[in-house]
Amino acid sequence: MRRMTLWRALLAGLVMALVLAGCGGDVAEEGGTPDEADDGGSENGGDGEAAGSITGAGATFPAPLYNEMFSTFAEEEQGIQVNYQSVGSGSGIEQYINNTVEFGGTDAPMTDEELEEVDVETLHVATVGGPVVPTYNLEGVDELNLTHEVVADIFLGNITEWSDEAIAETNPDADLPDEQIQVVHRSDGSGTTFIWVEWLSAVSEEWADSVGSGTDVSWPTGSGGDGNEGVAAQVQQTPGAIGYNELSYAEENDIPHAFLAPDADSEFVQGSLESAETAIEAAEVPEDLRVSVSALNVTDDGAYPVTGLTWLLIRQEMDDLAACRATAEAAWYATHDGQEFAPPNYVPIGGQTLETSEEFIQSMEAEGEACYEG
Amino acid sequence: MFSILSALAQRIDLLKQVRRGNTGDVIYKVLAYLFGLALLGIVVAIIWELWVQSAFARQEFGISFLWSTSFDPVQAQFGALQFIQGTLVTAVVAVSLAAPLGIGIAAFLVEIAPRRVNAVVGFLVEMLAAIPSVVYGLWGIFVLAPFLRDYVAPWLTATLGWTPMFSGSFSGYSVFTASLVLTIMILPTAAAITRNVLQAVPKEQREGMLALGATRWEMFSQAVLPYAKGGVIGAMALALGRAAGETMAVTIIIGNARRIFTSMFEQGATIASVIAGNFTDADSGAYVSSLFLLGLILFAMTFTINVLARLLIKATSSGPTG
Amino acid sequence: MSQEGGKAGPQRAGGTSSVTAQTMEVQNLSAYYNKFKAVTDVSMKIEPNKVTALIGPSGCGKSTFIRTLNRMHEIARGGRIEGKVLLDGEDIYDDRVDPVQVRRKIGMVFQKPNPFPTMSVYDNVVAGLKLERRHKKSELDEVVEKMLRQAALWDEVKDKLSANGTDLSGGQQQRLCIARTLALEPQVILLDEPASALDPMSSQKIEDAMQELKERYTIVIVTHNMQQASRSSDYTGFFFIEDMGQPGQLWEFGETSKMFSNPERQETEDYVTGRFG
Ligand SMILES: Nc1ncnc2c1ncn2[C@@H]1O[C@H](COP(=O)(O)OP(=O)(O)OP(=O)(O)O)[C@@H](O)[C@H]1O
Ligand SMILES: [Mg+2]
Repeated sequence: MRRMTLWRALLAGLVMALVLAGCGGDVAEEGGTPDEADDGGSENGGDGEAAGSITGAGATFPAPLYNEMFSTFAEEEQGIQVNYQSVGSGSGIEQYINNTVEFGGTDAPMTDEELEEVDVETLHVATVGGPVVPTYNLEGVDELNLTHEVVADIFLGNITEWSDEAIAETNPDADLPDEQIQVVHRSDGSGTTFIWVEWLSAVSEEWADSVGSGTDVSWPTGSGGDGNEGVAAQVQQTPGAIGYNELSYAEENDIPHAFLAPDADSEFVQGSLESAETAIEAAEVPEDLRVSVSALNVTDDGAYPVTGLTWLLIRQEMDDLAACRATAEAAWYATHDGQEFAPPNYVPIGGQTLETSEEFIQSMEAEGEACYEG
Repeated sequence: MFSILSALAQRIDLLKQVRRGNTGDVIYKVLAYLFGLALLGIVVAIIWELWVQSAFARQEFGISFLWSTSFDPVQAQFGALQFIQGTLVTAVVAVSLAAPLGIGIAAFLVEIAPRRVNAVVGFLVEMLAAIPSVVYGLWGIFVLAPFLRDYVAPWLTATLGWTPMFSGSFSGYSVFTASLVLTIMILPTAAAITRNVLQAVPKEQREGMLALGATRWEMFSQAVLPYAKGGVIGAMALALGRAAGETMAVTIIIGNARRIFTSMFEQGATIASVIAGNFTDADSGAYVSSLFLLGLILFAMTFTINVLARLLIKATSSGPTG
Repeated sequence: MSQEGGKAGPQRAGGTSSVTAQTMEVQNLSAYYNKFKAVTDVSMKIEPNKVTALIGPSGCGKSTFIRTLNRMHEIARGGRIEGKVLLDGEDIYDDRVDPVQVRRKIGMVFQKPNPFPTMSVYDNVVAGLKLERRHKKSELDEVVEKMLRQAALWDEVKDKLSANGTDLSGGQQQRLCIARTLALEPQVILLDEPASALDPMSSQKIEDAMQELKERYTIVIVTHNMQQASRSSDYTGFFFIEDMGQPGQLWEFGETSKMFSNPERQETEDYVTGRFG
């Protein structure tokens, strides 16, 4: 969910330059046009009208989607400009906490510790989801069926050979090589890792006890790659490797990924937009929405359990009414009309997740007024 | 301490010169001073920053951070030993391979190659030093790793597989690959500086040895190399420093496993690679602070390497290196 | 000085060496740097147990010539020769001859003292010996003392044999280089302006050393010092260059006494009397 450090530094520099240039422009405009004239010219009028421009920063994973949907949003709807800087979930959370942006973007929910640093309630508004799939490199094996337990055992280092009986049992037709399993994981902290290990913790007690969950964990075995591309490169370069990637990344690069099932007798499901959407629809999410769907290990028919969400981080109570309204409008758009931009790389949300997100947006307020006007 | 004293002495000298009216000299000296101080200031600022930012980790984990091998962001437990191991092993292996190769290349260029070849190849070698390290990293993945896996590793396993050093299977991403990539990365540095050092050995030294009936090889090993020893050691120290601090290429190829490794075929991590790979995503104060502490350790390591190199130069050459 | 000579004499007689000074004969020798001809068509006979001095204005090819005598010339880029140089009747440029062996038989001392800075005085003296084979320590000790005595340096350095070669004075360094050359027991010793970088006292000491050495060696010395040449040499060769860009030639060659008192050619007389060059 993030590009290489180098690229990011470049990108951040570029964005900074752009923002600075943008600010310069604004100042000049303001000099020429008094604020009142601006207000008077806008549709809604009055004090509490949506601000002309809001800024968000955070996760890189949904950035292309946000850019696309927000530019359409600016054209079609209220003319609100939304700048989203893709600086990574960590920086996004930091900027959100420091209140230097109207909203943050993250692939992993904020921790309790982080939430305490914010003086008001933080809303996790889910926008889209994405499956994380076990990518592998096995010559001649086009279809690989793994039970949840086997995946956990592989990543725990309990199963080390592809010829292991537990694997052979669910793949009677596959020509499994007599090779060592090379586990590949992310070496950097990432939302992808979070989704993956949340799921491993849900399906394996041993994992939950000995490794646990987070955006970065102490891996019991295997090698680490930097970023999605790092993991993908290692998997593709190493015969006998198994790793985990975002679905869109695996598909773009034509890396095969395994089918999963709770046990050998159940239906094996492969990560896809449909199977992930099924999982999101069926997920019984908690009230604050701070959970990866993967942690719930949804095993309904046709549901792919290793599915994560990406969130907008929004203050329930904001200082500036105009900014609050703009943020609420943008968030609503992102969770409704904007969903049409989700496929093929992102999974639209639905079910309880969508309902909870709607409630969150409706609860936003500033200067004693509700921000979302419907 | 000495530097402060000599700085004082020089300042007094400077005042005298102002009185004497050597304005040009004074301006030059003041400028040189400022730049020198700026450099010192930067170094001090870096150490200070590392020190302050690592305060939390130092208090939390104490000195045992140095020999702890746990690195668990979930439990917020951090240690440095595996990274110190990774850094030292890759850097030392790289230098011990690059040193003979670098000296060999430099010797060939200076002693054997025709002047034009020396100039052209010398230029190419210096060019190599300017290639961005990410390129070396990618080359490591796409060219070196498959080559090692198909040709070198099976042979090593067959001959040396019984030693712990080359035991286990080789996946391409390994401490071994990283060490070799580092070797190639620091080779230009080692060769280019050694070449300059060898070129600076006076003609009289070579002729003196040849006139005693030395072969070219004897001349090189008995007269040229001893004379240039200080410079060569300096070149290797520089190469070692570069290897220890190299980040991008290592991160790409070493496999980023934050564990102690026993075989060169295993994955590992270096201080530089773990800092670069995790700094922006570290999500707790203890994590960030630990990375700063790792940075401080790396700084101390490179510093020690340089001091040791200086001592080595002093101890081994009573010669003209001063 | 005659006393010292007396000391060295018996020692050598009782020593291990079997050095014999040899005649060298140069026949139609020309020396080149790539296409540039630095010395042309030199023929001369260098007598054993005699000092042959080479004089001439700067740039006329003295150094080039003397370096052809032990095949050091070919080390220079593009350095090559035409003609013959016979040592004891055998051409040192014959295809079958190893230049490394030639240089062991014909030693050379350079203009600038060049002791090996990383070696002690002791190791400097035996540096050449150590190249050929392993020697016993006692054997080496003996050689070191003997050679330092022959180079008239023993008394000055006998207490600092383990000091660095470069810690000696310039004159001592040069005599150390002579000792180092002597250690190989060569048949001929070539010296290219060995005293030009030294003070008169040191220069005198080297001159003295040479007088003793000629009893055992054939000596060729390049010098700019006319007194030195006239005092200490038996034969003198005058090199001259007619015009810029022309190769140097051996303008006149003969016994030193004649060359300095009654030379055949005008240029020689002008030069030795200090009228030019
Ligand atoms: N390595 C070299 N490459 C090319 N030309 C050279 C080289 N060394 C000397 N020469 C040229 O050869 C000619 C003779 O030089 P050489 O050094 O033999 O003169 P010299 O008589 O020893 O002079 P001096 O008395 O100044 O030492 C000069 O024209 C010089 O420029
Ligand atoms: Mg000369």
